[in-house]
Amino acid sequence: MRWIWIDRFEQVETGVQAGAVKNVSLAEEHLHDHFADFPLMPPSLMIEGMAQTAGILVGEARGFAEKVILAKIKRARFDRLVRPGETLRYRAEIEQLTDAAASTLGRITVDDELVGEVDLVFSHIDQNISGLEFPQENFVFTEAFMALLNTFRQHGGERIEL
Amino acid sequence: MPALSRQEIFENVKQTLVDALSVEEDEVTEEATLTGDLGAESIDFLDIVFRLEKTFNIKMPQEELIPRDILSNPDYVNDRKLNAAGIAALKQAMPHADLSEFEKDPDIDKISDVFTVGSIVRFVEAKLAEKG
Amino acid sequence: MKFVLIDRISELESGKRIVAHKALSLAEEYLQDHFPSFPVLPGVLMLEALVQASAWVVREALDFAPSLVVLKEARNVIYKSFVVPGQVLTIESNCRELTPTESTFLASGTVAGREIVKGRLLLRHLSLAERDPRLTQTDERLRAGQRTLFGLICKPRAVGAAAG
Repeated sequence: MRWIWIDRFEQVETGVQAGAVKNVSLAEEHLHDHFADFPLMPPSLMIEGMAQTAGILVGEARGFAEKVILAKIKRARFDRLVRPGETLRYRAEIEQLTDAAASTLGRITVDDELVGEVDLVFSHIDQNISGLEFPQENFVFTEAFMALLNTFRQHGGERIEL
Repeated sequence: MPALSRQEIFENVKQTLVDALSVEEDEVTEEATLTGDLGAESIDFLDIVFRLEKTFNIKMPQEELIPRDILSNPDYVNDRKLNAAGIAALKQAMPHADLSEFEKDPDIDKISDVFTVGSIVRFVEAKLAEKG
Repeated sequence: MKFVLIDRISELESGKRIVAHKALSLAEEYLQDHFPSFPVLPGVLMLEALVQASAWVVREALDFAPSLVVLKEARNVIYKSFVVPGQVLTIESNCRELTPTESTFLASGTVAGREIVKGRLLLRHLSLAERDPRLTQTDERLRAGQRTLFGLICKPRAVGAAAG
């Protein structure tokens, strides 16, 4: 199982807001444990989808200079169950952004219906050394994430004709 | 924004701490320390500052809250504890905080423990007064 | 991966408190992406472990009546450090409130006594047949699956009425 919980960016407004989609599919292994007889998209993985959308937005605003990691879930609320075949839309906006940290607000929708709200705080861990050991290089923004962003930038979501 | 009374500032700070730390309203007294009594972690400090900046429309720069330059100045620090000169400099730089407990064991890693609800309220009051 | 974030329950005070464990292994595939040079348990999987531990308290206390126990709201979940492969995250969750349809927990995770994560959880409990009586069979299968899994992971030191 890959640890990528968004499929595609639909919009990126540097330093302001970003939108990404995630399709929920029975081809995904985790749904068969959550739960075998009634697959549901786990709320914790919807939080991760928002964290990836918002984290890339925050990282991009700072030129990926810092390692941006999820430090606090202020609040994550879910209004209904999400099932296979549904498309999740994550919209994240930057509320505050400083050298040390960032706070983001997020809404999750399915077909324009509000499904959840997720508000997060990210820490720029190079700036907040608190006795933790981690590698020097920016391990957070992996090739997979950068590819998502590059796909958006290069094609802007356009169709490619054969 | 019309001038806020101290009580209004206190109520807003209290609500912010209740929301950010999942504590009960009656735990948020003037003397309660953020770390010791209310269980705040370092990420909570960043969260609380963000919320207060938004609520009161003020800026609360990190270096004004906790003067890292004093805490990392070799003239002021021996073996991760502040010396007399360091403590004097700290008192000047942090007029909003009560450092009397901290003075007994001036361990620079424990600086966050000095923040009480009251010291946060005083800091916000000062910032609002600056704005005029 | 198997989306089971609790490997073992060691203590269970019925309707009140649970101590459970999640062991992290480099064999867990998602670690290759999180992160390639620095494999650590993702924060949301720590949260999922807290949720699953709490859900077991609900199911055991309500005799597996609700077929679904899901996270409704998480508040002030903070991450203090990392969990690396080879370590075991010990979860303790304390129930603050428990009704047939809802519960509140204060939960935390530690590694070798050091606190890694803590937060407040609100869970919702439901059965599908409440909404559609045709789903009674599905509810039964869900309950059976949960009982089986509980039997696999629950090896408590008996406290109060909860011996497995």
